[in-house]
Amino acid sequence: MSSSMALRDLQRDLESKANDLAKIQKDIAKDHQLRKKYTIQLGENELVLKELDLLEEEANVYKLIGPVLVKQDLAEANANVRKRIEYISAELKRVDASIHDNEGQQNSKREAMMKLQQRLQSIQAGKAKA
Amino acid sequence: MGHLAVRRSAFAAEFTAERERMASSSARGELEKMGIDQLKALKEQADLEVNLLQDSLNNIRTANARLESAAGALNDLSLRPQGKKMLVPLTASLYVPGTLDEADKVLVDIGTGYFIEKTMEDGKDYCQRKISLLKSNYEQLFEVLAKKKSVADEAGMVLQGKVRQLQAATTS
Repeated sequence: MSSSMALRDLQRDLESKANDLAKIQKDIAKDHQLRKKYTIQLGENELVLKELDLLEEEANVYKLIGPVLVKQDLAEANANVRKRIEYISAELKRVDASIHDNEGQQNSKREAMMKLQQRLQSIQAGKAKA
Repeated sequence: MGHLAVRRSAFAAEFTAERERMASSSARGELEKMGIDQLKALKEQADLEVNLLQDSLNNIRTANARLESAAGALNDLSLRPQGKKMLVPLTASLYVPGTLDEADKVLVDIGTGYFIEKTMEDGKDYCQRKISLLKSNYEQLFEVLAKKKSVADEAGMVLQGKVRQLQAATTS
């Protein structure tokens, strides 16, 4: 009797761990998308910075704000792009750390699930013999 | 021109991911050791990656074509005298007559909403630089694609061999 209750408990535990695992994997997938987006933005901003660096002092820089092309100061544009690059790099590092953590959690969940399954199988095998 | 930066960066991201995956890709001997299911999964994965790479390659080619036409338009523009009558597109179907002002300065879209005023010479130079950058990206990506394709093909061949072996074993 108690063994079938233990069986049910184990199965419920396994199910909840499976749900947790699915959630973690969804988070990892979302983080990967985010990472891709940030990498693209970082690349684009670095290109812009390179072009701005090639300009001479008095060259005109314009920024498209909505439908309006607004004249910008070269120094200001440089500062803005640099700040964007810093921000995006920080976000990228954060996402990377999050991915790393989630992957660690994913692996430990998988291990826990495997152990549970083994116990489940051994109990079921024991019941079959009895 | 913003699209170019997107293509290039997406390519760069994919390229590094590719490198990591290729470092762990199997040599022929390892392929032989794998089970049929594993091989199938590997081949499907490799096929997927090949398709992704093909798409990226096509994107680079389109971007390159647009850059080339921009460079051509620039060249054409530099030949026109100031004050020349022209038709200015206001929408895709509405053109308005106008006269060409100074053709010596051009506005270049460098991405993230920034435009810089450059001389005609610098503008042409910009286009050329981007075109050669894209060309080198294309070549690098092509190499990665070729390697991935050979992995996919080899996996397919080894898989077929194993399936045939299995069939021969079960029928004999």
